[in-house]
Amino acid sequence: MRPIQFQLNGKQVSAEVAAKDRLVDLLRNVFTCTEVKEGCGEGECGACTVLLDGRPVTSCILLAWQVSGRSIVTVKGLPAAALDRIERVMKEEHAVQCGFCTPGFVLSIYSLLKEKRHPSREEIQRSLSGHLCRCTGYEAIFRAVERLAAEGGMP
Amino acid sequence: MSPMEPRVVGARVPRVDSCDKIRGSAKYIDDFNYRGTLHVAVVTSTQPHADILYINPAPALDVAGVVRVIVAKDIPGQNQVGCVFPDQPLLQHERVRFVGDRVALVVATSAAIAREAAAKVVVEYRALPSVHDVSEALSDSAPRIQAGGNLIAHLKVRHGSGLGIHSESEVIAEQEFEVNYQEHAYLEPQGMMAVPSGRLVTVSGSMQAPAYVQSAVARVLGYNLAQVRVVQATTGGAFGGKEEYPSEVASCVALAAVLTGAPCKLVYTRQEDMQVTPKRHRMRLHYKIGATKDGIIKSVHATIQVDAGAYAGLSTVVAERANSSATGPYKVPNVHIDTLVVYTNNLLGGAFRGFGTPQTTFAMESTMDILAWKLAMDPVELRRKNLLQLGDTLITGAPLPPSAPSMEVLETLLTRSDYYRLKADAEKHNETSRWTKRGVGLALNMYGCCLHAGGQHMEGSGALVQVRSDGSVEVTIGGTELGQGANTMAAQIAAHTLGAPFGNIRTLQSDTGLVPDSGPTVASRTTIMSGNAVLDAARQIQQRLVQFLAGIWRVPGETIELDGGMYRSGNRSIPFSELVREAGRNRVHLTASGWYAPPEKPWDKETGQGVAYVTYCFAGHVADVEVDAMSGLARVRKVWAVHDVGKAINPAMLEGQAHGGIVQGMGWALFENLQLDHGRVLNPGLADYLIPGAMDIPEMDVSWIEDPYPDGPYGAKGIGEPSLITVPAAVAIAVGHACSRTPTRLPLVPEMLLRWLHE
Repeated sequence: MRPIQFQLNGKQVSAEVAAKDRLVDLLRNVFTCTEVKEGCGEGECGACTVLLDGRPVTSCILLAWQVSGRSIVTVKGLPAAALDRIERVMKEEHAVQCGFCTPGFVLSIYSLLKEKRHPSREEIQRSLSGHLCRCTGYEAIFRAVERLAAEGGMP
Repeated sequence: MSPMEPRVVGARVPRVDSCDKIRGSAKYIDDFNYRGTLHVAVVTSTQPHADILYINPAPALDVAGVVRVIVAKDIPGQNQVGCVFPDQPLLQHERVRFVGDRVALVVATSAAIAREAAAKVVVEYRALPSVHDVSEALSDSAPRIQAGGNLIAHLKVRHGSGLGIHSESEVIAEQEFEVNYQEHAYLEPQGMMAVPSGRLVTVSGSMQAPAYVQSAVARVLGYNLAQVRVVQATTGGAFGGKEEYPSEVASCVALAAVLTGAPCKLVYTRQEDMQVTPKRHRMRLHYKIGATKDGIIKSVHATIQVDAGAYAGLSTVVAERANSSATGPYKVPNVHIDTLVVYTNNLLGGAFRGFGTPQTTFAMESTMDILAWKLAMDPVELRRKNLLQLGDTLITGAPLPPSAPSMEVLETLLTRSDYYRLKADAEKHNETSRWTKRGVGLALNMYGCCLHAGGQHMEGSGALVQVRSDGSVEVTIGGTELGQGANTMAAQIAAHTLGAPFGNIRTLQSDTGLVPDSGPTVASRTTIMSGNAVLDAARQIQQRLVQFLAGIWRVPGETIELDGGMYRSGNRSIPFSELVREAGRNRVHLTASGWYAPPEKPWDKETGQGVAYVTYCFAGHVADVEVDAMSGLARVRKVWAVHDVGKAINPAMLEGQAHGGIVQGMGWALFENLQLDHGRVLNPGLADYLIPGAMDIPEMDVSWIEDPYPDGPYGAKGIGEPSLITVPAAVAIAVGHACSRTPTRLPLVPEMLLRWLHE
C-alpha cells in the first residue's frame, strides 16, 4: 500500500492504494462517488468516465496510483452553471432513459463543448464514440449536444 | 367528467427521473452500501455437461475475509429456480449442464475476496458428451440433458385444412433460416442485494419482474411470500434480460443473507453476466408459403426449432409467442406450424425485446420476398393484397380486434420513405457503382400486445396512488421502470386524471410491499396494464374529491368538471391542491389502490386456436443500406419507422423507444455476433461483442398512427417491442437487395457479404 494525493472535484484528498487497485474502485468504494458507474470493466462503454486533468478517461482501466498529483472531476464536480444547463437540455430533449451511461456522457459533452463552440454532427458523434448507450439510439443525446451548442455552449 | 387542457397525456413532458440520472444521484443496486455488507461470488461450471464428483471448499475457506461457502445441501427450502418448469436447481451438486451452471456460492467481506476465493473452490468433474446444436439434440443418439428427454415442448398452430394445406396454392416459396443469439447488453449488469431482518428478507436490485423474484426467493428459503419483500432499485436497462434471470441472482443473495445474518450483495462483472445470462434465442426456421398466381396467400407451413439451452427458463413462453405470431400481419387461411423447444448444453435462451418474433419476422418477411420474386410481383403489392384488416380472421381463428390501422401503417411508411423512388435510386446507383452497393428493404409486423393467452393468469396489474395533504402525489405501479419511461407514463396518467400539476407527482420504484403482483414488465404491456391500474386508482380519488366538492358547494356531482387543473361547477372553481387540502381536513380518503385485468381469453393449446392477445400493434420499417464491397461492411443510411400506438401518451418517449429499437435491431442484424465454443462464450465483453456505437447509427424517421384502443388508458397500446421486431428483417432484405441475394442467416457479418459480392 502506498499513499497518494490528488484533487477530487476540487478538493485535495489522500488515500492508501495498492499497485493493482483500479481508479473506479477507489472513487466508488473509498470516496463514495457512486455517480461513476462500471459497465464493462475494459474501457469500452464509458460509463465510468471521469475527467483527468480536464480530459475524459475511463476509470476502469486506470490504476489508482496513476492519478497521484493530478485532478479528477466526476459529474458531481462539474461547475454548477454548466451542469444545470446540461441537465435542463438533456431533460428536455429526452436524452436519458435508463440513465446508467448518462453521467459518463455528461462529462464528455462538457469536455467537447468546452473545447469546441460549434461542433458538427460528425464531431459530436466522434467525441461521444467512447460511450455506449443501449436505450436511446443516441439520437436524442446528439440533439441535446447540438442544442447546448446553439444556446451558447458551456458557461 | 373528463379532464381538459392543459393536456399532460399526449405532451412531451420531461421524464420524472432524468435529473437524478443526469447528476448521478439515482441509486442503482451497486450504489447502496450498508455497514457490514457481505459480498457473494458464484462458483460456476467450466464444463458444458459433466457429473460432479466432489466439491472441496477448503482452499476458499482458507482465504482471509471469506465468511462461508454455500453448497446445495445448505439450502433451507427447495433447490429450484426454474421459471416455468421445475428443471433448474439453484446450486448443482450432481450434474452441470452448461458452462456457467452454479455449483457453490462464496460469501466474503469484499467482492474481490469473494471472487478470488470462488476461483479456489475445487470442483472435480467427470465430463459427459454434450450437444450444442438443436437438430442434433433431437436425434436419438444425442446425450440426454434432462430426464424427460431433450424435447421440452411441441407447440402447434392447426388452422384451416389439415394435411395437404398447400393444395390450393399455385406458387410455393420455401426457405430455411438460422439466426444467432443476441446479448441484451443492458449497460448495468445484473445485481441484487438482500437484507435479512428476523424471519423476513428484503431483496432489492435490478429487475423487470418483482413477483418472480419474490416467489423464487420464498421457494429457495422455504418462506411464504409475505416473508419476502422485493423493492426494485433504479434499473439500468433490461430489454427482457431482467425478466427471469434476476430471480436467480436474488436467490443467491437471499440465501447468503439468511445463512450469514448479514446484508449480502452480488453484482456481476460484464464478463460474468455475458457468460451466464439468457440471450435472444438461437433458432432454425423452415418456412413454406403458398399462394395463388395472383398473389393471394393460401397456406403457410413452418417448423421452428428453438434452442432453449440447458434449462427451460422462459423458452416455452417465448416459443408460444413465436408460434402464434409466425405468419406476421397477413391473412392465411391454412396454417400448419410446429414449434419445437429443445434442450442443448448451451447457455439459456430467454426473454428479449420481441420475444421470439424478430426471428419469425425475419423468416416470414424474407420468404414473402422470395414469393414476390417467384410471382414476379412487387413485394409491397404482395403484402398489401394479404394484409390483415379489422375483423379479418387471424391464424388463431379469432377476429383481428380493434385498433388495427394496418393499411394506414403501410401507406404512411411508403409515403414517408418515398419507397419506390428510394429503391429505384439504389438500383441506379448499383448499375454504375462497383465498390458500394445500395439496397432498400421493407418489413411489416403485428405484435400481440400484453401477455399471450397461455400466460393470462399473470395479466392483472395494480397501482397505488396516494394524494398527500399538501397536494403532492405518490404513484407506485406494479410494473417496473427499466429506462423505458414507465414511471413517467404513470405520472402523466395520474396527473391528467386527478388534475394535479405534473410537478406534484413523485413516482416510487415498484415494491411488493405497496402494490400487488402485477406480472412481469414485458410484452409491451406496461402502458396498458399499469396505465389502466393508475387510471383506476386516480379515478377513485377524483370521484371522492368530486363527491366532497358537490357536498360543500351544494351542487350535483355531474355538474363538476375538471378543466386544466381546476375543478369547476358553473362560475365556481378550485384548484387541485386547494381542494385536496380542504378534503384532507374533512377526513376524505385520498389513497386508492387501482387494478386492471382484461377479460378471459379462450385458448386451445393443442391447436393454437383461440384469442391469443387482447390487441395488436402494427409496425413497419424501411431500411436504406449501403454495403462496402472492399470491406464487406454494411452501413444503414436511414431507417423509417411507422407505429400503430393507439395514443402517444408521451411522443418524446415514444420516439426514444423507436430510436432505441431501431439501433438495437440493426446491431443484431449486422454485427452483434455471440460466439460459442462447446457452450463457452468466446467473446464475453463489450470489447469483443460489438453493440452499435455513436458512429454507427442511421438517420431515423419515426412516425405513428393514433387509432385509439378502446380498452387502453386514453386509447394507448404498447411500443417497447414493436420498435425492434421488424428492423432486422428490413435491414436483411435491404442488404439482400444490395447484394442480389436472400439473406438466410443473421447476423450479416462482413465475411459473408464479401463472399457474396465477389463470387
